[in-house]
Amino acid sequence: MSLETVGAVGNAPAVNLSAVTGLANGMGGASLPAMRSVQPPSPRPTARLQRSDGAGRLHFVAAGGRTQARGLYQSDPVRILFPVPERGEPLPAVLVTTSGGLVGGDRIRLDLIADPDTTATVGTQAAEKVYRSAGEVTRFAAGIAVGSGAWLEWLPQETILFDGARFARTTEVNLESGGRLLALEMLVFGRRARGETFAGGMLRDDWRIRVDGRLAWADALRLSEPMAPLFGARAGLDGAAAMATVILAGAGGGEARDAVRAVAEDRPVVRIGASVVGPVMIARFLGSDARILREAVIAAVGRIRNRLAGLSERLPELWYG
Amino acid sequence: MGMTITITATTPTTMPDPLADGGEAALYRLLAWTSPAYPTGAFSYSHGLEWAVEDGLVRDRAGLERWVAHVIEHGAGWSDAVLFVHACRAIEADDWLALDAIADLAAALRATAELALESGQQGASFLAITRAAWPAPALDRLAALREGRPVPLPVAQAAAVAGAVPLAPALSALLGAFAANLVSAGVRLVPLGQTDGQRATAALMPVVARTARAALAAPLEDVGTAAPMVDWAAMRHETQYTRLFRS
Repeated sequence: MSLETVGAVGNAPAVNLSAVTGLANGMGGASLPAMRSVQPPSPRPTARLQRSDGAGRLHFVAAGGRTQARGLYQSDPVRILFPVPERGEPLPAVLVTTSGGLVGGDRIRLDLIADPDTTATVGTQAAEKVYRSAGEVTRFAAGIAVGSGAWLEWLPQETILFDGARFARTTEVNLESGGRLLALEMLVFGRRARGETFAGGMLRDDWRIRVDGRLAWADALRLSEPMAPLFGARAGLDGAAAMATVILAGAGGGEARDAVRAVAEDRPVVRIGASVVGPVMIARFLGSDARILREAVIAAVGRIRNRLAGLSERLPELWYG
Repeated sequence: MGMTITITATTPTTMPDPLADGGEAALYRLLAWTSPAYPTGAFSYSHGLEWAVEDGLVRDRAGLERWVAHVIEHGAGWSDAVLFVHACRAIEADDWLALDAIADLAAALRATAELALESGQQGASFLAITRAAWPAPALDRLAALREGRPVPLPVAQAAAVAGAVPLAPALSALLGAFAANLVSAGVRLVPLGQTDGQRATAALMPVVARTARAALAAPLEDVGTAAPMVDWAAMRHETQYTRLFRS
């Protein structure tokens, strides 16, 4: 895998979505399908007239035994902050979307590149809100490249899907063997504090993980109307208010799986499962209480990073705000 | 599905008409390939149902029907159906690069170790047995193409079906066989009487029919599931204390 090739995508920041699919060599029509679908125009203009078309790019390089961020690129509404690392913690970067939430038609593109032998943590400052859309889809695309010997953490806070949100997210990972990625995603279905559910709208959430260029794992969550039967079905979401997926790509999957299972034993309220498929450990969390689920996810991620990378079990402070 | 009625629906124009003999050969093949007696080991997989029963999520025939219906319409049933359709079309178009990409995607879209085994082991078995008993160039070509790499079940089935059996009835039959296999697992696990099992299979017919119809029209980007509870159940099954099934 050529990290430079991957990084080049970030140099075309105008969210050139075809450039994203161009990463998926050999996948033909199967690659990142959600990116290619063109939705019919919204029948009515959304409340906010100006659409966000933002991008962020972060390139971590090894310099004198330490990790530094280079090749930074950001365009509204994406801002990247670098808090001072806590003791013993890897270099942190924090993404902020300054628009206060995403509406239909918004597009955000994020590229994270971790050179060989770097260690870095990327998070988000706050939960991301995806508002109701009359028709247009809100898109978020992440491209993540991890070099050999690197440990990269992509730990965004939860995405809150307002009732009626139409959201398509793709996370495309290119891992060099010997590199490791710890990633999580958490979805909250509706503004639960208001008693809202995700009764209408659309969700397409795609993962592609390649190791040395070969597709190792893929995931495609598809929620479309009518939503009630999907959330009501025992084999569907069974009433979940939130769900999360934690991924450990690279060596140590068995240990990561066992760490998640240990966390699960203490938390019977949250449905937690973990498995290892080839070079990828996948953990799923489903719960009727988003706050309790969040705590379980934090505990699992903390345990994995501690066991596998010798980092603190406590996540960066912004996770506890 | 009224198999013998719908069987003329989508014969590809580029292929020799497999129904020239009145459809008996196509029907005969389908019945053999979808029979529980076809030795792919299907009976040994519950697709997470064993944990769902253990956990009390499925307790009776109605619950079994709902669980299996969701797996068919929004789980692996749907996903594999769309993959199967596109794999068949790739083979019929002689586009083996596209087929290879579909096979990679189908192999990668497995949420747990046991679900990956379920598809990979059955796919390999189906390919080996069908090559031996029902030899066809597409099967040999697939075996050579995927040498040393997984052959997911829907792709192996596509290599048998393409050019030999019309797509629409084949898809209905394969989805129906998947549903019947899960019902059979449920009959053993809940447990239910054999007659109740057949009632469940009969009740699932419209679900299979509409899922097959939708899959025939779906673009490849619609591959995906809305069944995270099935993933979770299959994950929990890995540490279930007493197990009859491999998934």
